[in-house]
Amino acid sequence: MKMKRVALLVLLGSIAVVPVVQAQIKHIEMRVEGMT
Amino acid sequence: MKQHLGRQSGVQTVEVSLLDGKVDVTPKEDGQIDPVQLLKATYDSGVTAAEMDMTARGKIVKDSSGNLALQVEPNQSFAFAPNELSKGLEALAGTQTIVTVRGQLYKKPAGKKKADLSAPLKLVILEVQKKE
Repeated sequence: MKMKRVALLVLLGSIAVVPVVQAQIKHIEMRVEGMT
Repeated sequence: MKQHLGRQSGVQTVEVSLLDGKVDVTPKEDGQIDPVQLLKATYDSGVTAAEMDMTARGKIVKDSSGNLALQVEPNQSFAFAPNELSKGLEALAGTQTIVTVRGQLYKKPAGKKKADLSAPLKLVILEVQKKE
């Protein structure tokens, strides 16, 4: 019973976290001029 | 410049290559980075940004004007400059599909030293890397 509850909590937690983690800026690259 | 950029919100690391004038910015996993602020910080450090490319993951949405955009945060999205690749993503607008794209956010206008950063940046998609 306890295990079921823990599994449910983990499942709900992952649903809440995944959309935030999935979408994001991964990398930015710039080319600049006038750098010494 | 490295320090200037490194102080910006959401920036994890900044790598500068003096040889080819390349600057690599890695955002924090859980942070929100603002490309316009990065461009401003670059100018503030005394150098001119010629181009800015970005790799980002997000959902395809239609903004209030009906333009396609990549939403990377609930409050941050980048409108696409229309091209063949952006047309190919139109069918995904409003769906839960997460798309990874590489695109150009900024290119210095020819003949100008400093760009007008008051206008929103448009993302010219160069490559669609993944649809999940």
